[in-house]
Formats: sequence, structure tokens, C-alpha cells
Amino acid sequence: MDDLAVQVKNASFSYGKKQVFHDISFNVKKGEVFCIIGPNGCGKTTLLDCILGLLKINTGEILVGKVNIKKTKPQELAERVAYVPQTHERRFPYKVEDIVLMGRASKTKIFSSPNSEDKEIAKKAMEKVGILELADSPYTQISGGQCQLVMIARALAQESEIIIMDEPTAHLDFKNELILLETVVNLVRENNITVIMATHFPNHAYYFETNNIPTTLALMNNGVLEKIGNPGEVLNENNIRQIYSINSKLIDYNLGKRFIKQIVPLSIVKDA
Amino acid sequence: MIRKRILYILIFISPIVLILLTLFIGRYPISFSEIPKVLAYPFLKNKSSIQETHYTIIWSIRMPRAILAGLVGASLAVSGAAFQGLFFNPLVDSGMLGVSSGAGFGAALAILLFNRSSIYIYIFALFFGAVAVLLSYIIGRTYNTTPTIMLVLGGTVVSSIFSSLISLTKYVADPYEKLPAITFWLLGSFASVSRQDLIVGLPPMTIGILGLILIRWRINVLSMGDREAHTLGINSNLNKLIAIGFATLATAGAVCVSGTIGWIGLIIPHIGRMVAGNDNKKLIPISCILGASFLIIIDNIARTLTSGEIPIGILTSMLGGPFFIYLLKRTKGGSW
Repeated sequence: MDDLAVQVKNASFSYGKKQVFHDISFNVKKGEVFCIIGPNGCGKTTLLDCILGLLKINTGEILVGKVNIKKTKPQELAERVAYVPQTHERRFPYKVEDIVLMGRASKTKIFSSPNSEDKEIAKKAMEKVGILELADSPYTQISGGQCQLVMIARALAQESEIIIMDEPTAHLDFKNELILLETVVNLVRENNITVIMATHFPNHAYYFETNNIPTTLALMNNGVLEKIGNPGEVLNENNIRQIYSINSKLIDYNLGKRFIKQIVPLSIVKDA
Repeated sequence: MIRKRILYILIFISPIVLILLTLFIGRYPISFSEIPKVLAYPFLKNKSSIQETHYTIIWSIRMPRAILAGLVGASLAVSGAAFQGLFFNPLVDSGMLGVSSGAGFGAALAILLFNRSSIYIYIFALFFGAVAVLLSYIIGRTYNTTPTIMLVLGGTVVSSIFSSLISLTKYVADPYEKLPAITFWLLGSFASVSRQDLIVGLPPMTIGILGLILIRWRINVLSMGDREAHTLGINSNLNKLIAIGFATLATAGAVCVSGTIGWIGLIIPHIGRMVAGNDNKKLIPISCILGASFLIIIDNIARTLTSGEIPIGILTSMLGGPFFIYLLKRTKGGSW
């Protein structure tokens, strides 16, 4: 049990009478990437919000480490779980460094500000994700991809073992998507961080797997996790047809140095 | 870097310099050489001879007035800066949650029921200012989602309710005696301030200002929005409540001393941003100092420009209006 980062047991959630998910159970192991994929509106974000303590589940329980999050304060939870939002609205032109420093909020008392040690941690976080040279730039003037890296640096400065990312590549171009994925691989491999990630790109799971990162994939649909397992078990042509109603083809290549595995959508299934 | 440092030093000593300068300015002629003597008088052992009128004018009129103007300016600017961060909206000011109109109604009611210079003005202004903010806060909490938008909406609704109550008070007031008193009070002025105002206004304003200065870094985190502030480890509802509490104290204290003075809570934080950037760690203290200096200057203009006093609320808006347009133009460019 010690190697479990998050345990979700029989969790259900509804907005008023509208049930979003019900009776969901899964475990996230320490040091793995746990990907959640599923169609729009299947409840991925709501599920993540519940783990983050932003929403309260109606029944069941969620344990982070060994602690039931129902009883934890935001500060304690933030020391264990950090968050990279799907979209971050940039309202004031803070400097990149100021934003990353906010990751230290849970360790800073209400009437004080981050000290030099916090600044050092923020600096290391920026270095880790490769945005140190942006430290003094107003973060309203950097690209969307760079902003997402700033969010990751902020989460990293929080020094929590778990980072939850909600569709972190949603608005990114080809290259920035890859930069982000490489950063995640880096964090899991070198900083031993557990990542829970909602994504619309099934192939992200294969990307992590072929990079030798322990990866679990959960397929969410109609408010339940229909399949959980390693990417190979979950992401096959059958399941994709069931959930997305599309025909697809699983392709793998041997590039000599590494394998590439991808599932490629082919056509929409016509109702028979 | 050095130029910036000199600028900061100049800004930080400006209120003290301005308060001292204010002592030399006024309609009653006191010679320049006389003023240092009067200033030193209480601290000297062998008392030199000075006129009692001079002593009263410097120590009981000009000095408290300058200090109060500084405190009021600082209070309004600092709460404005805090609210802009809290509501992540650069266009809100210190009266956002209805504290100004609430306090205004309280004062108008007190003038209507009692007389012009009664202690009830303070009590009523503070009380109704706090009631207005509390109402806005309760409205903001009725929905579970996006409380920030609801707070802004609540503030707008409550402000307009109290504004109409002010109109009602004016309507029923005796047009020869009470109505002018209410109107002048609402225009804002330091004309009638005394040491007593200093004693009454000092505690809420200083507590409010100091509280906001202490909590200033948290305002950065709160400006990330409730979701992110929460995941960064902050109880955003509690922190917001504390910040709103301090801002209300500061603004209500200011309003009950000087009446409603507009624009400072909106303009000064933006001037502060041009000097110190958006980090509230620097912005809040800078706004505080700039607000103090700005209002001391405006008050000197108000009391010396014409033979009578110009209500200070008129002057701040007159200068504030054009500045606001300039500001909107600048924001459109997105450079700041």
C-alpha cells in the first residue's frame, strides 16, 4: 500500500441531480503517469477537481498518500498535490518569476512573503523546465506553450509529489506539445513525481510507455472508468470503436533505437 | 537600477516632505522664518516667544489636516489596489463593495437626524459602510460558483441601493440647512477637520493600511482566481474575507473623515503599476505612498486655489477623468 500515491474508492459526484460520475475506483502508483482519456464531457475534469479538493465527492473516499482528503485543509493538500490548469487566464502582467514563486504559497504564512530560499526553489523549478531566461519577462507576453511551462514550474516549486494536469497540451502546437511531454517524462524520471493527466490524445499514453515511464491508462465514458490498464491493454482498436465510434489502426515501428506505438484514427463507424 | 532606486527613495520620502511644505501654505500669513520656530516650540526647553494663533494654525489646523489628507489618500489607494487584485479587475476601486455609498448614506442620515458636526456622522458612516460591504459579501456567497463575479455584482447592486437611499435622504432634508450640509459632505472635503477627526479616523485607517500591507503577497495568489489559489494551498474564501475586512476598515475610516472622494482608489494603483509593476508586494506599499502624496497635493490646491474651499471630491474627479481616458487608451495597447 505504501507505493500508492492516490486511491479513489467508489467515488460518485453529481451537480445537483445531474450525476457526473458514479462508483469510480482506481489506484495511482507512485512514480507513474496516470492518463485519463475519454470523450468531451465524460467527467474527466470533474474527477480531477475532486482529487484536488475543489469539489467534494458525494459518496466514496479519496486518499492522497494515506490521508482522506475530505478532512485536509487546502494548505496540507497543496503540499501533496499540485495542479497545472487546462487554461490559465493571464489577468495581470506579472513577471514569470512572480508566478512561479506563487507555488510557495502553501509554505508561506499569511502575513509574510516568499524568502530567499523560496526564490532559490523557484529558480531551480524554472531551470528544470527550461524557462529560466524568461524569469523577468511579463508572462502576458510569452507564448501559450511557454505559459504552460510556467504553470509546470509553479507546480514544481510547490514541491509536492503529485502533479495533476488537465489537458496540458490542449492549445499547443506540434513542437510545444513535444516539449511539454518531454518535460513530463523528465519530471517523472528525475524528480520521481507522480503525474495524473487528463488528455484528448490517446497516443500520449504510448509516448510515455515507449519512453519507459510506468504508465497506466484509464478510459472514461458515461461517468465510469470503462477500462484501466497499461496502454497496450486499453488502447486497442476494439475499445476505441466502442467508446469513440471510430475505426482505428494500431501501428508500431521499430526505429532501431526505440519503438514507436501509435493508434491512428481511420474513419467514423457508420450505424449498421 | 540606481535611477530606479533614487525614484523609490524620492517617492517614499515625498509624503513627509509634502506635509512639511503644507505647513507653509495657507491664507493666514505666517512668515517663513516663523514656522520652524513654531514647529520646534513643543520640544524646546527655553521657550522663545511665539504667537498663540500661529501655534494653533500650525499644530491644530494645518498639521492634522495634512496628515489626515495623507492617511485618507493612502487608505483609498491601498484598498483600491487590493480590490483590483482580489477581483482581478483593473477597473474597480475602493468603493467596489459599496463601502463609499454605504458610508455616504450613513453620514447623510446622521446629518438629517442630528446636526452637522456631530459624532454620529462617524458612527453612522462606519456602521453603514460596513453594512454595505457585508450585504455585498452575502450576495456574493449565495451562489457556489464564481463568487468573484457575484461579489462584483453584489457590490454594484448594494451601491446603487445606497445611492438611491442617499437621494431619498436629500429629498426629505430641509433645503436651507440640512440639504447643503449633506451635499457638501458628499462632495468630500478636509475643510472642517480637526484633531478630533484625527483621533477618530486614525485607528481604522492605520489598521486597514497595515493589514493590507501585511497580507499583500497573498493578494498576488488570490488574483490567480479561486480555483488556482485553492490548489496553491490557500483558503481563498477566508483570505479574501480578511483582505476585504482590512480594505473596508481603511476606506470606511477615510470616508467618515473626509466624505466620499472618488478616483484615488482607481488611479493611484495604476500609477503605482507604471512605477513598480504588478507584483502586489511592491505595488501595495507604492500605492499607499503615492495616494498619500497625491491627496496632500490636491488638498493644498483645494484650499488655496480660490478664496473659498473647493470640495476635494470635485478636484480629484476633474483630474481623474482625463487620466482615466488616457488609461483606457493605454490598456488597449496592452503594454502595461
